[in-house]
Amino acid sequence: MIDLGGLVEPHRVHRSIYVDPAVFAAEMERVFGGAWVYLAHESQVPEPNDFTTARLGLRAVIVTRDSDGELHALFNRCSHRASTVCQQEGGAARNFQCSYHGWTYSNRGDLVNVPFPEGYPDGFDRADHGLRQAPRLGTYRGLVFATLNPEAPALIDWLGPAAPLIDEFVDRSPGGRIELRNRQRMIYKGNWKLAWDNAADGLHPTFAHRSFLVLNERQHGGSRSLSQFKAGPDDTGMYGDDLGNGHMFVDQRPGLARSFWETQRPVPGREWYADRIRSEFPDRGDEVLETAPGSMVNLSIFPNLLIKGNHLEVVDPVSVDETRLHTWVAAAAGAPEEVNVMRMRIAEDFPSLGNPDDLELFERCQQGLGIAEIEWVDMSKGLGHPDQQILDGGVRRGPVTHEGPMRGYIRAWLELMESDPPLAVAGPGPVQCEAAG
Amino acid sequence: MGAAAEAKTGSVVDDALYERLAGMAAARAEDTGPGRPELRAAAEQALFHEARLLDDRRYRDWLDRFTPDSVYWVPLDLGGDPRRQVSYLLDDRRRMADRIGLLETGWAHAQNPPSRTVRTVSNVEAWPADGGDGYGSGDVRARCSVVVWEYRRGRLTPFASRNDYVLAAVDDDWAIRIKIVGLVNCDGDVPKFAFVL
Repeated sequence: MIDLGGLVEPHRVHRSIYVDPAVFAAEMERVFGGAWVYLAHESQVPEPNDFTTARLGLRAVIVTRDSDGELHALFNRCSHRASTVCQQEGGAARNFQCSYHGWTYSNRGDLVNVPFPEGYPDGFDRADHGLRQAPRLGTYRGLVFATLNPEAPALIDWLGPAAPLIDEFVDRSPGGRIELRNRQRMIYKGNWKLAWDNAADGLHPTFAHRSFLVLNERQHGGSRSLSQFKAGPDDTGMYGDDLGNGHMFVDQRPGLARSFWETQRPVPGREWYADRIRSEFPDRGDEVLETAPGSMVNLSIFPNLLIKGNHLEVVDPVSVDETRLHTWVAAAAGAPEEVNVMRMRIAEDFPSLGNPDDLELFERCQQGLGIAEIEWVDMSKGLGHPDQQILDGGVRRGPVTHEGPMRGYIRAWLELMESDPPLAVAGPGPVQCEAAG
Repeated sequence: MGAAAEAKTGSVVDDALYERLAGMAAARAEDTGPGRPELRAAAEQALFHEARLLDDRRYRDWLDRFTPDSVYWVPLDLGGDPRRQVSYLLDDRRRMADRIGLLETGWAHAQNPPSRTVRTVSNVEAWPADGGDGYGSGDVRARCSVVVWEYRRGRLTPFASRNDYVLAAVDDDWAIRIKIVGLVNCDGDVPKFAFVL
């Protein structure tokens, strides 16, 4: 048993939430099992019999669209001797056959064949030995979530004020939906919550991304990417929201000197593709170009989805001190191809020039957290400050450098950890899927 | 900034260049037969020199080895079309200069302390590049196997790749027109890297 009560105080958290393997093991059940966890995007499984793979915490999952078009999150574990049954990251398959002893499952989990069936005891029923799956799925604007918690709120209630912000992100596509392309994968030696602490931290860019800021000023003049953090970010009107249930939002738009397109760093092909768009859309070229860069907001859906720029960044814990980040890039459905080509280059820009500095700092934090005698990590900025306001719907808003969103997700984390929600898995066949939007 | 001002610091990347890159990616595993020994000597000279400049972190000198229309590409999908896919990086010369400029600010934490690297370039093969891929008859296509060992903050990390190059004859020397770094684990867990592969 771990004593959680003493690990979180209003203004600080205990180091053990980042370094204690027992806390990590509990998180992988209670948070990455008890909450709604982002798994995949529907564009990865557009047709019946498509599948993709993901992880629900540490659990390997095959997200399938069965022959009837229904979604499943099947555990990638043979019911016989536990081998994984799917080795591909994605594709199309009606059946998954275990290579070890040949047990074969349908893409909704039914055990459809057991070779050499003679010899199993009386009462052995294939129906009892299908692939197990998450009992509850939910979709919102193409995002697919799952939970093992029968008592979790409805997905739409879990998302709360985050849902209309997902709408804004998706509706930047003329077609009203996004299509995931491929992903960058990066791994760092640090706890997963360090990425989470960082996701709505408006205090760090001025310092952590100083190389990026200085570079842009030197090479490309002021008012380019991130210049809103050059000095006095809180004087710009930028803010951070604690949306409840651990979700967070940062709005950098009030800090932008000019449009998204004009403040975007020049990426390869910018001129040629912009010219093409301007000639193709003489009346609204600027408007079309505005959909190529990200929209300068960061929306974090607890516990594992960070929407930033045109990215869906999935936080994938590996161990207490190792985390993998999958940075999926979203193409805008219905947009001119030129927009999506530029999205690919833009998606390499900050991730390859700026993110390494973030990961470096996460690793330095993990190193510092190894000192057992220094127990606390400060999260107090903005606590009780008069600029903190509570909006309708319970959203808590503060200046961008305040740490309110961080305290908010820790509150949600503690609630899940303390409530130790009941977890269940389902057998094969149809499952409940909430289409929330 | 208007289109005219942009053009001053312009990018050479256009659809035709992407077409070439996509073609090179698609043809990556085609057997082009044994390389030409007389071209290999020139390719080795250029690639070994590049390797030495990178290991010595002489990045401005390294950049000088590239043509004005050069591309430095580290794909995530070795056979994919860069128009449809994100890469670790796909730089034109402007963004290559940015990558170096970032290190020169002195504030790139991921390179403080800087990586020490030693790289082995082997299995060098070279062919004339006039095989219908749009390049002039003077260009040379080269491929090689590379292992970069990076040492930083107590960790020794290998980066293994098969690299593809297009080299351009410039005066009496060879410049790099295209450099593609095909990491063997490109779609796996690549450790963060902030030095030049």
